[in-house]
Amino acid sequence: MSRECHISSLVVHSRPDRVASVVDGIGAIEGAEVHGGEEAGKLIVTLETETENQVVERVNAIQLLDGVLAATLVFHHFEPVPELE
Amino acid sequence: MDLTRRALLKAQAAAAAAAAANVALPAKAQNIATGEDLHLQWSKAPCRFCGTGCGVMVAVKDGRVVATHGDMQAEVNRGLNCVKGYFLSKIMYGSDRLTQPLMRMKNGQFAKDGEFQPVSWERAFDEMASQWKRVLKERGPEAVGMFGSGQWTMWEGYAASKLMRAGFRSNNLDPNARHCMASAAVTFIRTFGMDEPMGCYDDFENADAFVLWGSNMAEMHPILWTRVTDRRLSHPHVKIATLSTYEHRTTDLSDMTLIFKPGSDLAILNYIANYIIRNGAVNRDFVEKHCNFRLANTDIGYGLRPEHVLEQRAQHANDAQVSQAASFEDYAKLMSEYTVEKASDLSGIPKERLEALARLYADPKTKVMSLWTMGFNQHVRGVWANHMVYNLHLLTGKIAEPGNSPFSLTGQPSACGTAREVGTFSHRLPADMQVTNPEHRKHAEEIWKLPHGLLPDKVGYHAVQQDRMLKDGKLNAYWIMVNNNLQTAPNTNNETYPGYRNPANFVVVSDAYPTVTAMAADLILPAAMWVEKEGSYGNAERRTHFWHQLVNAPGEARSDLWQLMEFSKRFTTDEVWPAQILDANPDYKGKNLFDVLFKNGAVDRFPLSELDPAYENHESKAFGFYVQKGLFEEYAGFGRGHGHDYAPFDMYHEARGLRWPVVNGQETRWRYREGYDPYVEKGSGVQFYGNPDKKANIMGAPYEPPAESPDAEYDLWLVTGRVLEHWHSGSMTLRVPELYKAFPGAVVFMHPDDAAKRHLRRGQEVRVVSRRGEIRSRVETRGRNRVPPGLIFVPFFDASQLINKVTLDATDPISKQTDFKKCAVKVVAAAMADAGEQP
Amino acid sequence: MRRSIFAALLAFGPCLAAGAILAQDAPRLRGPDPFSKEIPAPPMQRQVTDDLRVMRNYPDQPPVIPHAIEGYAVDLNANKCMSCHARKFTEQSQAPMISVTHYQDRAGNTLGGLSPRRYLCVSCHVPQTTAKPLVENTFADMDALTEPERQPARGRN
Repeated sequence: MSRECHISSLVVHSRPDRVASVVDGIGAIEGAEVHGGEEAGKLIVTLETETENQVVERVNAIQLLDGVLAATLVFHHFEPVPELE
Repeated sequence: MDLTRRALLKAQAAAAAAAAANVALPAKAQNIATGEDLHLQWSKAPCRFCGTGCGVMVAVKDGRVVATHGDMQAEVNRGLNCVKGYFLSKIMYGSDRLTQPLMRMKNGQFAKDGEFQPVSWERAFDEMASQWKRVLKERGPEAVGMFGSGQWTMWEGYAASKLMRAGFRSNNLDPNARHCMASAAVTFIRTFGMDEPMGCYDDFENADAFVLWGSNMAEMHPILWTRVTDRRLSHPHVKIATLSTYEHRTTDLSDMTLIFKPGSDLAILNYIANYIIRNGAVNRDFVEKHCNFRLANTDIGYGLRPEHVLEQRAQHANDAQVSQAASFEDYAKLMSEYTVEKASDLSGIPKERLEALARLYADPKTKVMSLWTMGFNQHVRGVWANHMVYNLHLLTGKIAEPGNSPFSLTGQPSACGTAREVGTFSHRLPADMQVTNPEHRKHAEEIWKLPHGLLPDKVGYHAVQQDRMLKDGKLNAYWIMVNNNLQTAPNTNNETYPGYRNPANFVVVSDAYPTVTAMAADLILPAAMWVEKEGSYGNAERRTHFWHQLVNAPGEARSDLWQLMEFSKRFTTDEVWPAQILDANPDYKGKNLFDVLFKNGAVDRFPLSELDPAYENHESKAFGFYVQKGLFEEYAGFGRGHGHDYAPFDMYHEARGLRWPVVNGQETRWRYREGYDPYVEKGSGVQFYGNPDKKANIMGAPYEPPAESPDAEYDLWLVTGRVLEHWHSGSMTLRVPELYKAFPGAVVFMHPDDAAKRHLRRGQEVRVVSRRGEIRSRVETRGRNRVPPGLIFVPFFDASQLINKVTLDATDPISKQTDFKKCAVKVVAAAMADAGEQP
Repeated sequence: MRRSIFAALLAFGPCLAAGAILAQDAPRLRGPDPFSKEIPAPPMQRQVTDDLRVMRNYPDQPPVIPHAIEGYAVDLNANKCMSCHARKFTEQSQAPMISVTHYQDRAGNTLGGLSPRRYLCVSCHVPQTTAKPLVENTFADMDALTEPERQPARGRN
């Protein structure tokens, strides 16, 4: 099967007092990036993975981080990584 | 996939999440992509289609809509859309958009038999105004009419109502919502004294049983159906019972499917009432405290032309709406006729299944949500059917609390907001007020700052009557906005088309696309649509929601609001108001209609500086004040303090809609129930405060047969309706390639035995013939709809298969809503039958 | 009479080139001319069954179904779509797995399987026929606006 690239994004609701540690925790997850939302306690996170299963795994991992109230997937797009690369 | 593309996708992903969370991303945080190129502006809007009112996020790039998705923050749909909603991005981009006014001309002049030629707005309005003035002068205000829609934004409907009633002094204003939910609206008033549901969509997560009366929610209200199926599949005790005249995708997911003979739903409803009474399931305490009993006039005719034999024969065709006070015993006696045997005989449903259905309502522990739309409303006894389902909920006290909910669904995005709340029916003023009530007219005149006695007191022509009066030459200047009535009205070949082409009439159609209706007009005005203007819709659960103008309309297309207001400038009060009123109110003499209606110190109260600088607003900039805010706030004055409270204008641009009454910033989820509704007095528990005695009416009415039933010659029932992929007459969805290709043409859904009996095979071309007219179509014996023998279903979206040439213009005599679900037809092979599937 | 309106309409739209092939389908959108005329019913269209993925117009568009689904049961007992598209069957079926968004319930919790609110697949995913669009749609996707030079040739429309 050809390789795929999955780009997804989620909103991570965090306890206001734990935002900093949640951001650190997300930073340690492969392919995850925080883009903002610290002030509102609603972190905007993107995931870049090779499979759909990895999306699920990472969302679950984020949900399990201490201080995370909810992680809601908003956007998911994938496409084959084609001959171009 | 190269890095730029990755970065672009990530930017989109982050922007989508930020929009969903309502979080602004700091510029520096957008480290994954740089440059203006990747920036999409996301804004909220409600969906353009049905009455569900889903929230949509809309992405704009370079002045064009480039993407849409379900709004995660919208309570209604929490991120989901149906297939139509997901393709909203493409509805504005059909390449045959109308971009200039087109007028029928000959030798440079308007001519009824001329050919369409592009003209300027100036020229178009010149001709239109001179026609209006001619008709007003020769025939008076009753010869002027307008046919609008539950797709108008609320301020468009409000402006139309002012222009028609106060400007031209005619109540010949009706929305195509008349074809859609007039029966529901009328029955709300007759039962509760106030329009619109007591419950809301939160009932979906609280009910134990869902009973669908003639509703195919899986296709017609797909997102609400996700909430029903979510509840059913997550909670095994929950049951879904679906009553219908044929099987479809909704019955696929129902625990109980009850297929009844058309029209016999009335007998089933009365049987359930009888079951409740006989089995001691009446909630006596609730009924005594909160209900009155009444018996309706019977033998009320079918809303046909008065000379029709069925009207001549009917005893109460002229006072169909009258009812008499009665006792519980009177009501129980009438219901006692509806034994399970009788209901089973009339409906064709086995007794045990009727009993199982009745038990759902009778069991005090089962919270029941009843749902209905066109099956009930498009019914020659639609008002009775609505009454009968309220009767069940009132008898058992299962009403106005979470999960116990008689719930009328709507078909248009602002059927509630624009048609009903704003008051664009021929009998209504804003906030449920009636044109025949002198106090109500006076109140409206005060809010509108108009002379006393100005507003006309006679109920105007309703939808079907407008067509008849156009044909008869009594309605001569006619403006149609946001609807395609020549495709969707009943019996069009005999009753609608002749009026449009009647040489005595001047017919104007405002639309975004060249529809069947537009092609039959004398003047076509190009309209802006959806996010090409700032708008507001009111959905089926009393939720009012707003959106901003996100892109500009193409060419010279203009919103209906601009058209209505700009056209008003063509008239002075001297031209349209009687001298008697002007003499008594000399300050109004010689005034421009625009000034008295819209520049009246109220509508023009909010300056342009209050516009959100992030968005365009064509109308406000054209007229020099914040038009939408002024209209909304003036209109909101009708309802505030009267149980119809709206929040302040600006709140709606922030919230994902709010359910009225909104009191102290709080929306109301369940009306009439203490603890939820601030209008219910402390200690009273329940108050139906729309009526003076704060009680609801239980209305007894019998089963009466449909206007036309199959016989030896016309041997099949015809039921018309929609399909998931197309919305109403298809003028938007047929222009989206994916939706068109999913369901590219109407077909005749027919039982295989009926096809075999007629020697027809699947795909064969046939004629569907009634006493009114015929169309050519193709037989479909498989697919999503499975009809019983003796009945066919034909959708109405296809402009080349105008099934409404075949339907009957019978209406409910009380609500005046057409019955599109019951008439008699025959199906025969087309003379030159050819092969079914294309090679 | 009819010809001139088309000429007039086409003159303003960007669809001049497409006009010739689309004009024959005008009654499908605008009704017969004159209204009272009877016209033959369009033929029924064949289902697309090539199993080729079709590019989405934007990331959140539900992909269309490139195969026939006639007779697929989606009822209280069974969901035929899931017999190929559920995660555990995708290896043998080589069908795309349902999107991960489909594992979340209304409150945003991730579930072990298809969320009940997503159960009726055909509410969002629709099969296609080989019908030719009645009129061109000028929608342009975000890539066409941001990097027009890089557009792949459009697939079937």
